[in-house]
Amino acid sequence: MAELDRHLLAPARLKLTTMLTAVSEVEFAVLRDGLGVSDSVLSKHVATLADAGYVRSRKGTHEGRRTTWVALSPTGRKVLRNHVAALREIIDGVD
Amino acid sequence: METSGSRPTPDEAAAALLDAGSARDQLSHRLTLPSWFHTSIGLAVVVQTATLAVGVADQSSAGIGLAVAGLVPFVLVAVVQLVRFRRLNGVWVGGLASRVVFGSDAAASTVHFLAMGAAIWAAFEERWWLVGLCAVAGGVGYAFCGVRWMRSYRGDPAAHSRGESVLLLVALIVPLFAGAVLLLVGAR
Repeated sequence: MAELDRHLLAPARLKLTTMLTAVSEVEFAVLRDGLGVSDSVLSKHVATLADAGYVRSRKGTHEGRRTTWVALSPTGRKVLRNHVAALREIIDGVD
Repeated sequence: METSGSRPTPDEAAAALLDAGSARDQLSHRLTLPSWFHTSIGLAVVVQTATLAVGVADQSSAGIGLAVAGLVPFVLVAVVQLVRFRRLNGVWVGGLASRVVFGSDAAASTVHFLAMGAAIWAAFEERWWLVGLCAVAGGVGYAFCGVRWMRSYRGDPAAHSRGESVLLLVALIVPLFAGAVLLLVGAR
């Protein structure tokens, strides 16, 4: 049976990691606008997920300014898949 | 993976999944291609196919040089369009780079190789109109495969976003590069 991951129980983090499955790497501002959160809130989520090894972030540039690029790690992809399967089991009523 | 004891209710779980999926779909639908994206890639493939065919059939060092030089516009167009895409959207999509631009998609590579094979045969037969026709068919087919991939990506972004591994790309590019160098050296 699939298991829920405590880092992904926060809806914003589930949303963030799910968004990352659509791309290989995304710029911080694009992620912030997509999630509809502030810079500081997104920074905290990214830091938490990076500490858990679910995302990778690196400093880079975009349109001539310094920014952060975020990507889902292989571990994050695996954990997300498990977490989504666990949520689907809950929806389907599997104990 | 850290598990949790606090289970969401079925309604909460459904809402969380729906919300996350919707955010992902919005992101993938918002992505726009730079102007002349498929057209420029198709044209670069036309030039590359025609120069390869004429160059190989010429069987001289100048001909091989022409075949190798035909790769330059393709690489330039590929790099410029990928940089423009990244700048325009603030994202990098590996699947777009490897499958659409560099043709690792099975249909695109099949069309490309068939067009190159037919164009080389036509060049040896000195049927230059057929060389042009094969090159144009290759370019149109290549671009069409890109359009088709984009449609598939928007339908299921998670399944199509990732490109080939760096190892596989290196395994494909190194023999091609080595072959081009050997052709150039052998022709001298």
